[in-house]
Amino acid sequence: MTSPPAPAASPFPIRFTGDARAYWRLLTRGALLLMVTLGIYRFWLTTDVRRFLWSSTEVNGESIEYSGTAAELLIGFLIALALLVPVYAAFFLAALDVGAFGQMSGSLGIALLFVLGQYAVFRARRYRASRTIYRGLRFHQEGSAVRYAICATIWWSLTALTLGLAFPWKESRLERFKMRHTFYGTLPGRFDGYGFSLFLRGLPLWLLVALPLAAGLTALGQSFDPDLLDRAFAESSNDFLERIARDNPDFAGAIVFALLSAGVTLVLGLLLYPAFQAIRTRWWVSGLRIGAITARSHLRTLPMYGLYLRFAGLALLFLLALGLAAIPLVMIYGALLGNGDVSILRELAASLIGLGFYVVAMLGLSTLYRGAVVMPQWRLTVESTELSGLAGLDHVEAAGEPGSPVGEGLADALHVGGI
Amino acid sequence: MTIGAGLFYDGKTSARHDVAVELTDKVLRVTDAQSRVLAEWRYDELESVATPDRIMRLARKHNPVPARLEVADPALIAAIDDYAEGIDRTGKLAKRQRGHVIVWTMAATASLLAVAWFGVPLIAEKLAPIIPVSLERKLGAAVEMQTRAMLDTASASGVPFECGTGRGEAAGLAPFAKLIARLNQDAGLPVTVKASVVRRKEANAIALPGGTVYVFQGLIAKAENPDELAGVIAHEMGHLAHRDGTRSVLQGAGLSFLFGMLLGDFVGGGAVVVAARTVLQSSYTRDVETAADAYAVDLMNQIGGNARALGTLLTRIGGATEPGMKILMDHPDTRLRVSVINARARASNGTPLLDPAEWAALKKVCG
Repeated sequence: MTSPPAPAASPFPIRFTGDARAYWRLLTRGALLLMVTLGIYRFWLTTDVRRFLWSSTEVNGESIEYSGTAAELLIGFLIALALLVPVYAAFFLAALDVGAFGQMSGSLGIALLFVLGQYAVFRARRYRASRTIYRGLRFHQEGSAVRYAICATIWWSLTALTLGLAFPWKESRLERFKMRHTFYGTLPGRFDGYGFSLFLRGLPLWLLVALPLAAGLTALGQSFDPDLLDRAFAESSNDFLERIARDNPDFAGAIVFALLSAGVTLVLGLLLYPAFQAIRTRWWVSGLRIGAITARSHLRTLPMYGLYLRFAGLALLFLLALGLAAIPLVMIYGALLGNGDVSILRELAASLIGLGFYVVAMLGLSTLYRGAVVMPQWRLTVESTELSGLAGLDHVEAAGEPGSPVGEGLADALHVGGI
Repeated sequence: MTIGAGLFYDGKTSARHDVAVELTDKVLRVTDAQSRVLAEWRYDELESVATPDRIMRLARKHNPVPARLEVADPALIAAIDDYAEGIDRTGKLAKRQRGHVIVWTMAATASLLAVAWFGVPLIAEKLAPIIPVSLERKLGAAVEMQTRAMLDTASASGVPFECGTGRGEAAGLAPFAKLIARLNQDAGLPVTVKASVVRRKEANAIALPGGTVYVFQGLIAKAENPDELAGVIAHEMGHLAHRDGTRSVLQGAGLSFLFGMLLGDFVGGGAVVVAARTVLQSSYTRDVETAADAYAVDLMNQIGGNARALGTLLTRIGGATEPGMKILMDHPDTRLRVSVINARARASNGTPLLDPAEWAALKKVCG
């Protein structure tokens, strides 16, 4: 009754068939509509983007389907809002309490919102999994979102405390948790990546980035002179460094050196980021398992640099064009505010021009990022993945129910949304 | 009747069925090689789901089981398209639906902006008077903490924020207290005013919820007589009487909520939220300032001071502030304000609020 799957043309039975031009069209229209709807259109844009990425991904000759709708996301968001309003109101009232609790409520609130955000991340993944359909079966995700949120909070704290050294173990633990609870029909997923192997691969990058900063801070620590610093601050001065240089040249030199090394760290961080992304993606994909199906990534680092370079170029061009377009606007702006006593309406108009300009710039950059980084990265990841054990795909049984979109709504309201 | 080939997934297992697709008058029938009927779907139940362009993937609407039929034959695709009205390969239907979505989201945007422009100030207006004084005092303490942190640049260089502590300054405190007491006596505010002079260069004064008034050093320097200073303090008392500070906190919270959560973080960064809030809030303040002016004039009339002095001072400092983002200073046109003040003011009774010696001491309260 069943026939064997058609042999795939590419070396790996997984391909990306998306048309880049169609994707850019979708993004540009989306950006314009986001602007005029002050962002309400995001539910539709997100759905369009997912539909595009999912349906352009073919495994064994069959494309994946995203069956979620924008209306679901909107409803999920509204429910999340209803849940969050009392929380925010409580924080607002707590902040009024000047006592110890009021003092603490700020940091307590941030911590609580972080945990809630992680809870939302896991629930949102459940929604996305259950809206992913392949060969007539859905994926689904089980497991307690509360447990995930606690785990994630602990691991993120450890990562921050160790200045990123615990990051590989955070990744492997959390991915393990997610994949262990992910199913395609009845086929259980798991994650076979080890934190230590990611650590070994990432360590050189970490050292390259951290060493200049560490050297700068050490130099600063050795010649640190708190009294001098106090004095220099007290004399409300523009020539802060000059004053220090006069009293203690070593200390001034150390400050300059620390600033320079921080700059080097920043530049190195930016330069190494694509390499880091490549290492991390390779490690992640190679650890994914569903039933007997295993994945192996052959992602190369160079194309990753290519796409980030292209993004940087496009962003530069965009900002240049924006700058040229700004010249007449700046003139209008100046004319509106030029003579001393201006009416509130002209001030309002001028502020709106400024605000509109900022929105266009940010929206443009985020669109470029989605088009030039997110999609090409998806394509690179897909095209460099080798799948084996696909025979196991032929007789999987259905399981799982569609998940609720509240997690997506929460993630959106808390600004931790994924793809 | 048209017949063609397709691929069918029944939604129960991932098994792939090579099937014959039969288009009868009423239903689309799917049969396998053994002529078993795997599915019969009515045309009005059909929907096409997202796939790469060259194939058509069909599902049955509202089906809890995600069974899918895939057709690659262009002739069969065209035939199905003809039979089923709900399916549009041209995308015309989807375009129309998306058009509706765009119209509705834009309507929603307009209504949210209307809420921000009219609704939020109205709600704050209704809410501010019913907030109990005890809560307002707590609110004031919280706001004061933040405001101090923002304004106090003096303490960092070892000078206290409040004036009147240094040598030669203390003598100015008594006349200042006298002026405040004189104003307080006739003001009849629900809260007691705690006024102090603080070290800030700007010619300004602010009132916080709960009754704290900060008079800036720059204002004392710019004022040429007690009536001018009293006029500004009376204006700030007007804000307290109208509970403008509380209202502004409520407005700020409402707008933050509206822009920050409802509209989402679509450009990555709360800067838009803060900017939009500032613009909107400063547009609310126009009437508020006019009302506080009116209150100040009435209070000055009542205590027999020169109510026009407020206008004189406003003109003087209005000319001195640099042009630019005056919207952040939230004061409406100075000229208009002065004419309204003058129209309402009565002549003073001739007795100065402070005698020349007291005024001279007050001028030196910040050294």
